[in-house]
Amino acid sequence: MADARFPLAIRPRPEAGPLARLAAVLGGLVLGLAISVALLVGAGVEPSALLDEFVLVFLASPQSAASVLFQAEPLMFTGLAALLAFRARFWNIGIEGQMIAGAIIATAITLLPGIPDPLRLPVMALGAAIGGMAWIALPALLRLRLGVNEIITTLLLNYVALNGLLWLLYGPWKDPVSGFPYSAEYTAAERLPSLGWGRVDLALPLAILIALAIAFLLARSRFGFLLRFVEANPAASGALGIDVTKVVLTAVLASGALAGLAGFVVSAGVEYRMTQSFFVGYGFSGILIAFLARNRPILALVVALLVGLLMVGGQSMQVFYQIPGSMVQLIQAVLVITVAASDFFVGHRIVLQRAEAAG
Amino acid sequence: MDLQTPMTEALTLTGIDKAFAGFPALRAASFGVRRREVHALLGENGAGKTTLMNVAAGLYRPDRGELRVFGEPVVLDGPRAARKRLIGMVHQHFKLVPTFTATENIMLALEVQNFAAGRLEIRRRVGQLAEDLGFPVPLDRPVGTLSIAEQQRVEILKALAAGSEILILDEPTAVLTDEEGARLLANIRRLAERGTAVVLVTHKLRDVIAHADRVTVMRGGATVTTADPRALSLDLLTALVVGEVVATPTARQTTPGAELLVARGLSVSAADGPPLLDDVGFTLRAGEILGIAGVGGNGQTELVDVVSGVRRADRGSLRLAGEDLAAAPVATRRARGFAVVPADRKTQAMAGDLSVSDNYAVGGVLRTAFGGAALDHGAMRRAAGEAVAAFDVQGVHRLGQKASLLSGGNAQKLVLAREFSADPKVVVVHSPSRGLDMRAMAAVHARLREARDRGAAVLLVSEDLDEILALSDRVAVMSRGRITAEFPAPVDRQAVGRAMVDHG
Amino acid sequence: MSDFLINWLAMVPVFAAPFALAALGLLVTERSGVLCLAAEGYMLIGAIAAVGASLTFGGYPLLPLAAGAVAAAVVSLLFALLVLVFRVEQVIAGLALVFFCLGLSSLIGSTFGWTSRTVSGNPQWPIPGLSEIPVLGRLLFSQDLIVYLLVPLTALVAYLLNGTMTGLRLKAVGDSPDAADAAGVSILGTRLAAILAGAALMGLAGAYLSVVVAKIWVDGMTGGRGWIAIALVIFSGWRPWRALGAALLFGSIEALVPRVAASGFAIPQYFLFMLPYLATLGVMVWTAWRGGGGGAPRALGRPFLREDRH
Repeated sequence: MADARFPLAIRPRPEAGPLARLAAVLGGLVLGLAISVALLVGAGVEPSALLDEFVLVFLASPQSAASVLFQAEPLMFTGLAALLAFRARFWNIGIEGQMIAGAIIATAITLLPGIPDPLRLPVMALGAAIGGMAWIALPALLRLRLGVNEIITTLLLNYVALNGLLWLLYGPWKDPVSGFPYSAEYTAAERLPSLGWGRVDLALPLAILIALAIAFLLARSRFGFLLRFVEANPAASGALGIDVTKVVLTAVLASGALAGLAGFVVSAGVEYRMTQSFFVGYGFSGILIAFLARNRPILALVVALLVGLLMVGGQSMQVFYQIPGSMVQLIQAVLVITVAASDFFVGHRIVLQRAEAAG
Repeated sequence: MDLQTPMTEALTLTGIDKAFAGFPALRAASFGVRRREVHALLGENGAGKTTLMNVAAGLYRPDRGELRVFGEPVVLDGPRAARKRLIGMVHQHFKLVPTFTATENIMLALEVQNFAAGRLEIRRRVGQLAEDLGFPVPLDRPVGTLSIAEQQRVEILKALAAGSEILILDEPTAVLTDEEGARLLANIRRLAERGTAVVLVTHKLRDVIAHADRVTVMRGGATVTTADPRALSLDLLTALVVGEVVATPTARQTTPGAELLVARGLSVSAADGPPLLDDVGFTLRAGEILGIAGVGGNGQTELVDVVSGVRRADRGSLRLAGEDLAAAPVATRRARGFAVVPADRKTQAMAGDLSVSDNYAVGGVLRTAFGGAALDHGAMRRAAGEAVAAFDVQGVHRLGQKASLLSGGNAQKLVLAREFSADPKVVVVHSPSRGLDMRAMAAVHARLREARDRGAAVLLVSEDLDEILALSDRVAVMSRGRITAEFPAPVDRQAVGRAMVDHG
Repeated sequence: MSDFLINWLAMVPVFAAPFALAALGLLVTERSGVLCLAAEGYMLIGAIAAVGASLTFGGYPLLPLAAGAVAAAVVSLLFALLVLVFRVEQVIAGLALVFFCLGLSSLIGSTFGWTSRTVSGNPQWPIPGLSEIPVLGRLLFSQDLIVYLLVPLTALVAYLLNGTMTGLRLKAVGDSPDAADAAGVSILGTRLAAILAGAALMGLAGAYLSVVVAKIWVDGMTGGRGWIAIALVIFSGWRPWRALGAALLFGSIEALVPRVAASGFAIPQYFLFMLPYLATLGVMVWTAWRGGGGGAPRALGRPFLREDRH
């Protein structure tokens, strides 16, 4: 007996093959990109220019490739930060706050006398990681001890961190030379050294190293195994004797540390100082990267590269076509939406019901 | 009596097929019920009884087949359409909003138009109906706070208030004590005498023999036969249900050893309610099975959680060979030789999205049997493969396949394989055969006896009295969070049943 | 000091109104079992739409507010599509929508040149006679229309939830979709209506914020108020009158910030700006400490699929 009104029906599919998964994600991506192209063309960009700015730019010259890589460096850190937290089923929406906290500590360290030059960068990096960790510690503890929703607490702390930053920049740390609201410039010893290819700096190999380490931990280590169990079923993990609190806290603190490092990578690698808005947009991009990479670290590097490309392309769109910077943000959101929706086709099939008679 | 005459049938289902995600759940199933009769639909778990009745209640749309109500072919495109045809179903898992009162639940189901006037009208009508049937129900308390038997009465009143003339009851006695069940079945008989067509879905042969006018047996998604139960012997019915003879359990081989696990004064309170566990104590010796019987919701889950360490007791001690573990975390208990098989295996004992291999190996990983920092994945897979073979876990095509794809019985076997892999000293099991078919149940029971015979102390908590009686060396009864009675083997079923309902 | 107090209290309703409207909208959506993290996004869309309507049409004080509500409801169709049809995890869908709205509102603002342009705002509607009463007249009867409507609106939501069949169905869908489905209630239809109605209220909250409170649009101007509203709803146990009370509490905290700054206390303003966020954190901790999260719809965040075989 078929339903006479509606010829299509949704049927759950128990286990989709890897090909179906790939096809669904690609389908979502293609649809998202198509919508994005339509948006850009609608905003007055010529289709041929899109090809130039977003596709050919990467191949055009080693210099433009380097600028994309450089743009992607902090994104790699925030992407890895997001995926570690998501692996522990912890929604870290406070990456930007943790970036601010990390960069504040790193900048505070630049103001300390008496640290030998060769040690300055490592100490700054360490400080930034600790700052990020400290900023996520409160939401983590509140969630693990009292069950307070971390989505809201991490997000609220973004605003607290931002106001703390503004206080520093308009108060104690105001540039003594220009009077502008940004901190004094870092010295040469406090800047991430360039690798001699465009502005690409030490952050790139560091990100790759960290991604490899995380990939190994997740796939091969005992901790990674336990983390996967906690991700899949926290209740059963607890009943089996896994110390869920410890596992989650470890992953979440590591997430905060990576976000803090991302703040350091921007301040010591891009801006060479702290500004009011050095962190803007990196938090959401991190979430997007982790989501599109399905929480896989190596894949996250690749996706970070693509988002870097999008940002570099977006900047030249802004210059040549007066396309607002928010377009890049909108495109990212569209991609998340279409890929998330495409997931439906991994778990379900649409089948055509034949309108046959009963019996 | 001519059993085949279609003229008098209130509801007939003919040649019903239904598949879920490609797996057939019903194959050409046929069934009919008349006014003034109680027609039992008998079969073991997974035979398709509930699926067939969900088709009759409009919840599932059949892939093929015909429904007739009072002789007229119908298409039911939802529960509402079924209700319009005067079909009412009381599901095994009640379809009640726990935060609503009985009145509000019935208002919702009856699609009352005006809230204020509807509430008065429904209260009056349902109160009258409840009185007529001898069905006392509090109408103004949230149904979540009512007992299971009371919630069931609300469900039946809901169906009757909607004017149902065809009433389907899915396993109504499964959640009741023997005594409550008997009272319910007597009430149902009265309903049938007043003209209602009653379908009694059950897996209990006893209910069928004593209370049904006709019985239809289902096996493997098909209806096997329809007959007068008085014309069939218990053995013949069993054979029809199972399809083959299940071996009877072997007698026990050892005598209990020394006292191993001693609980004293275990108590747990809810935030602002009555105690969930109230001064519970028991002594469990090596090589014995202690059965904890009782109607569900009398503290069994809390007892299992407290003994296994998932939940901390407010007071009391739990000594394993003298060492008090009452405050010890789960990991410590497991290190001392605890194995736990919780009632809800798919959510409490497994990670369905992970592989069969991972779900087996997690026990060993926690004992650092596969390495302390880096893991030996080859060894993990080999161990899992051996366990799957040894415990006869079926449906495993690859060790890397998702554990959620296993059937209930095979998932349970996998959990048992993991829990027994370290030769446990104390085994805590809760409703180990709930939802399993007879063959899987027999296999699970055999494993529990084996563990006992190897010298493990087994705490068996189950709401299924048959299971308790089949396995236990001693039986204790829980009621309202307390252990109210204890019986040495051989246990008298009547006495245990009385203790279960005696709330003292 | 009494000047300070009156100036402060007179501003409380204006600051409380966006919280109250957003919280009521969230409550309506979430009572149907749909977790709504998109509040911040709806508010942004409502805010930009209201400013756009005000700049484009001018002169009609209520038109921008209506535009905000309608725009947010339209955007919520996307959320409904994701959550109800594609069964995207509600957390992901909510977050994606917030970022979508952030980008979209900013894009619209700069494309049409609506950013940083002052709008005429909404006139006060002093109630003749009553507004002449000393102190009380200023506090309670010299406000704008939306403020006057807060109490009737809360009463309406409370009545809908607790005194009508619509409310009974809505709560059933949010608490026990299985039971509601068996009773013939359309789960998807109910949730769609709840998403639309809730988004309209949240859009109204954003519109009020831009055309009445700030009288200007700047990117991301809601400044986390949507998230604070979510915390308020948890705090209020999903009950309308309590949500109004919580909104007043937070309105008074927000109204305090400019007052304290203006009164010349030697506190850096940025610490004052932290106050609402820290207060929200405090409220969340307190709610959890009490054994909170009470009153949450039991099916909150869980998609419904009837043919699931469980």
